[in-house]
Amino acid sequence: MKRLFSVAPLALAITAAPAMAQDTEQTLERMQQQLNAMQQQLNSARNTGVRFNGFFSTGYARASNDAGYAGITEESEVKDLSLFALQGTFDVTQKSQIVMQLVGRGADDWEPEVEWAYLSHRPTNNLQLRAGKMRIPFFMYSDSLEVGYAQPWARPPQAVYGPIAVTSYVGADASYNLNFDNSSLTATGFTGFTDEDGNSGDVQLRNIAGMNLTWTDYVWTIRGVAATAEADIDATRLGALAAQSGITLPAGITQLADGDRGNFYGLGASYDNGSWQIIGEVTRVEVDGKFADTDSAYLSVGHRFGSWTPYVATGWTESKDDNERTGAFIPGVVPESILNYQRNEYSVGTRWDITPGVAIKADITHVRGLDKGFGNLNTAYMLESNASSTNVYTLKIDSAF
Amino acid sequence: MKKLSLLLAACLMASPLALADVVIIGHPSGPDSISSNQVRDLYLNRSQALPDGQSANPFELPEGDATRAEFHSKVTGRNDAQLKAFWSQQVFTGRGQPPEEAGNASAMKAQVASTPGAIGYIDSADVDDSVKVILTP
Repeated sequence: MKRLFSVAPLALAITAAPAMAQDTEQTLERMQQQLNAMQQQLNSARNTGVRFNGFFSTGYARASNDAGYAGITEESEVKDLSLFALQGTFDVTQKSQIVMQLVGRGADDWEPEVEWAYLSHRPTNNLQLRAGKMRIPFFMYSDSLEVGYAQPWARPPQAVYGPIAVTSYVGADASYNLNFDNSSLTATGFTGFTDEDGNSGDVQLRNIAGMNLTWTDYVWTIRGVAATAEADIDATRLGALAAQSGITLPAGITQLADGDRGNFYGLGASYDNGSWQIIGEVTRVEVDGKFADTDSAYLSVGHRFGSWTPYVATGWTESKDDNERTGAFIPGVVPESILNYQRNEYSVGTRWDITPGVAIKADITHVRGLDKGFGNLNTAYMLESNASSTNVYTLKIDSAF
Repeated sequence: MKKLSLLLAACLMASPLALADVVIIGHPSGPDSISSNQVRDLYLNRSQALPDGQSANPFELPEGDATRAEFHSKVTGRNDAQLKAFWSQQVFTGRGQPPEEAGNASAMKAQVASTPGAIGYIDSADVDDSVKVILTP
């Protein structure tokens, strides 16, 4: 009804104009004004609207054995690499909006899960405040962790991105952005808590407090992050392994951390001049108690040749506090050193942008250097097979719309 | 000789039309000029405000448009695929939405002329007095 009313004056103007106007120029001018008025109405209608975006990934990966690097085995299926996400952005006012992202993963039978749900407010051009469920900003690619299209690789380097089991938290952050002539500096403080299943057991972080500094001149980006939290870590996977082998574990023994202090430090740098794309990150995880402290790093170098971007990457991760695990995890059966690990990985792959919005990626990753512990891979398989390496082959399609 | 120099002057005056470069246009109530870096920052989600402080409303031409390609090669240095990857990262990390699209040069002019804080780009041959040129990059 409203639209009918807004169109009516224009229709009137069109029919009435030839009779009234002395020359065509005046008529045109009047019609132009009417059009502008309609445009303004359209604009205001659009600004109060809702926007939907989505991303989608699918592909197939296969490993040379069941070591389980990145969760890939000889029996991996298409659904393991498939996900579909829909994001809604709702403008509350001109300065505030609600962002909600639902992700359905093939591996979880497409059960949709809320990955983002927050209210953001921008009181000034430089300051942004957010509250709700968000990604923990541990890494350079934390925010776009599952948006394959926004990443150069088939998957983020697992040496750095793999050991962290929790990726989202509930809390608040504040970002302050300083724009210089040819560079910008962003400082973000964040706080909150987590409660979700991690990949190596149940991990919970409480009273997270962290700080993130990012400087970029749009070719170089340098990022530093430090965070601290109280951690509960229950190694349910180790428990399941023991149960599988018929070992009854003393109650509570898989609880590797119970309210213990955990710290995270990360330093990242990237260089992207339009043709070369070089990315590196170094991270350190420290948790009081038996849970392994780890240092990790990766370096990736890619080069754009038109729509092709081949890359090579290498990563490394190692437990650091092995001297704290000299006792027995289960007396006489399993030493605590089972929690130690070390792993090297080497990837070569390419991204092919077939059209804006769709990219195909192919990747071969070779993982070795598992001589200490089992490289934090599938312990049950590693115990019986004595495998010292694994190869993972991946072909993937990433799309954003 | 005099005739020749007149001819030369005429050629010089006519050449901007003949070569038809991309120009940055703004809403009539907006600032009279803007720097190339400021335009880049608006189109790459680095800034949300015009030089006079009012909140900016940038508009884009559709992918594949020749004027769009010229604008981005001169101002942001990015092609369509790079822009798509860049905006997918911005959108899915909640940092912002890409500029709104205007279907063609006349839609661009209509949008910019009717939206306060609007900024856009068109071929200089399409400029008329509904908008003002604030930068020739």
